[in-house]
Amino acid sequence: MADKTNTIFRALDRKASAITEFTMRQYRTKISTWVVLITGLVIISLLMMFYVDAMQRDFESVDNDGDSFDSDGDSYPDGQERLYGTNPFSELSNPGFFDPPIPPDDPSVWIDEDDFDWNESPTGTRSVSVGYDDDGDCRTEDRTSSQKDTNDNGIDCDIELSLSLTGEFRYDVDNFVDEDPDDEAYAKEALHRASILGIGKLGFVFIISIFIPLFMATGLIRDEMNSGTMHYMLTKPIARTEVFFYRVIGYLGIVWPYLIILTLISAVVTGFAGPGDSLFRFAEFGIWLAILFAAMMATLVYGMLFCFLGVMWRYGIILAIPFAAWELGMALLSMGVPDAPILRFSVIGWALIIVDSASLIVWPDMTLLIYSGLSVEGTDSLGFESEELIGSEPLQYFYANPGLGNISPFLSMIIATVVLLIQAIALLFVGGAIFKGKEIE
Amino acid sequence: MMPDFHQEGQAETTQWQPEQKAPVILLENVSKTYGKIHALSGVTLALSGGVTGILGLNGAGKSTLFKILMGKLKPSSGQVRLFGTNPWKNPAPYARVGFVPEGEKMHDWMTAHDFISTFARLNGLTRDEAKTEADRVLDFVGLLDVAHKQIGRFSKGMRQRTKIAHALVSDPELIILDEPLQGCDPLARTTIMNVIRELGRMGRTVIVSSHILTEIERITEQIVILHHGRLLALGNLHAIREKMDNIPHRIDIGCDSPKELAKSVIDIASVHGISFQDPQKLTVQTRNLGDFHSHLPKTIVDGGHKVDSIDNPDDDLASILGYLTGGGGM
Repeated sequence: MADKTNTIFRALDRKASAITEFTMRQYRTKISTWVVLITGLVIISLLMMFYVDAMQRDFESVDNDGDSFDSDGDSYPDGQERLYGTNPFSELSNPGFFDPPIPPDDPSVWIDEDDFDWNESPTGTRSVSVGYDDDGDCRTEDRTSSQKDTNDNGIDCDIELSLSLTGEFRYDVDNFVDEDPDDEAYAKEALHRASILGIGKLGFVFIISIFIPLFMATGLIRDEMNSGTMHYMLTKPIARTEVFFYRVIGYLGIVWPYLIILTLISAVVTGFAGPGDSLFRFAEFGIWLAILFAAMMATLVYGMLFCFLGVMWRYGIILAIPFAAWELGMALLSMGVPDAPILRFSVIGWALIIVDSASLIVWPDMTLLIYSGLSVEGTDSLGFESEELIGSEPLQYFYANPGLGNISPFLSMIIATVVLLIQAIALLFVGGAIFKGKEIE
Repeated sequence: MMPDFHQEGQAETTQWQPEQKAPVILLENVSKTYGKIHALSGVTLALSGGVTGILGLNGAGKSTLFKILMGKLKPSSGQVRLFGTNPWKNPAPYARVGFVPEGEKMHDWMTAHDFISTFARLNGLTRDEAKTEADRVLDFVGLLDVAHKQIGRFSKGMRQRTKIAHALVSDPELIILDEPLQGCDPLARTTIMNVIRELGRMGRTVIVSSHILTEIERITEQIVILHHGRLLALGNLHAIREKMDNIPHRIDIGCDSPKELAKSVIDIASVHGISFQDPQKLTVQTRNLGDFHSHLPKTIVDGGHKVDSIDNPDDDLASILGYLTGGGGM
């Protein structure tokens, strides 16, 4: 019996490796393969250029709380007057009348003077207190306790972060705490993360993963059925389902290494160009790994599907195009409404869960980063209007919670992977069965 | 009914064997229709051993017949058995069959050796076994010296021989060749014919199709004639030919001096008419093609004539078909 099993596996190996190798070599001789792969490289390179450009840009420092302005014209910025408890609206009241007199600050000192200080995120229903009043305009002794604790959590000059029972994020801040963040630092961090998510989700998991199979897998069996060369393979003692499977493996033998190279290039670019003190940012390797994995799973399922459509009908690519449009809609929907039930009827919906789960693991402070940037928008107690920070909106757009409800991100990732594998196996059996019953002229 | 205890457990010990006495090929009333078009209608045929020529004009159903045999097409009705098993949706019998498909299309980017050894692995051979096997079959068809050249650079004859070599991997018992001589130059034709005859001598069952009678004639006497999807005749070519002796045949001989040649040719007994339709061409009428062809070379050599071409404008097959269908012309 052992001998027999051995023989079966060796025969399988011979047939599998023969067709897989043949398919990979055949791809290499086709110009269309190179055109498709190079086009994919160009698209990702262009997206990467936009990203690098954003990282190189200087972002104007905005005085988000308006305290560098000298309202009363006494050359003391409002922030400095507020710190020393003098009246910012009266030129007869300023720290210059102190003994000894205090010289006025340059207005630039009061720009970006109170950056975000947080290192914790709320978990469950536990709220956390973060933030530090870097410029001291909250901690000043002139303020009463109630002025220092406007969010009423019993801690002076802090920010209270909490999650509601429905999982909604709350950012409750005392006045004059972390109110004038470093715009450039924020914009770069937010745009860096938004770019990785955007390029990863739309560039890799959608565009690359759907167009490469569309052009490369639709003809995987159909082209040879049309040209008549399929006979050389099918007159050998091999089941057609096997041929279908090994051909797809051969296609993956080209596409997966390509995806690995493309992801590696992107990861290196974002590692070097990303913001931070170190020469290279290793933080995002985890997310790139998830993007690569999601793209590999998507190219597997799409490859099986398009190969099957090609077998089913001579003009299978016509069926593949509306499907690609459907997937685009689902990809966009998943960014806004990640838990929409209709997403479960797509491939991309599941593939993006892998990326979203990984971003939750790699960037636990993500929600905080988004909401703190957005929370700067509004009118403060002194009537000063400010806008949300650059980068917070794109980040909010591309970031989504994994849509499988309140479960661990690792579990979401495993569920999504299993579902994608089931989709691939189902397509293999359907495709194999259709191919088996197909007449070949 | 009492269980037969003697049989119990026997299934495990005795290996399954295909029916030994089954013919290699068995078709029973096989039809294939595409809408209103009948590609094959009611073909019944059993073949085992030897070389068989399948004759028919283009579109007579030869390729359809082969594709049904190879499980590529599903018969609309009737039974097909290849080594006693139904080939549709069942690749098992292909281990014993080699198939040379019609048409020019091949994997031009591969070398002949690559092409054959890659697909040989689908017969269950290892990489090394496949390479040895590729050398063997390429040697058999006389392509060993160009084995490592790209198929794309091959002449039509070499391509056909590569396809035949591909079919001969693992030494199949049945070899089906669909129009293997089409488009080949005379030298390649001779080589391929020798290969086919050799296979027949080795005891393989060979089925070869053609629309040119003289080609088949040089390979085998056992023929099957297909016409408009129907089986028209089956048997020995000479027997069919003898019946046709009273049908006149026309032969065009292109030469430098038709009149000189005519004087020699007229002495051949089977010639019963001569005409000159072209200054460079002699047209001979005969009622016995075989006899005429056996005398003609000697006549040409003895007379020292220069002959450019010998042509049979009344396609032999067309005249046989005409005879068999009872009409005069096609």
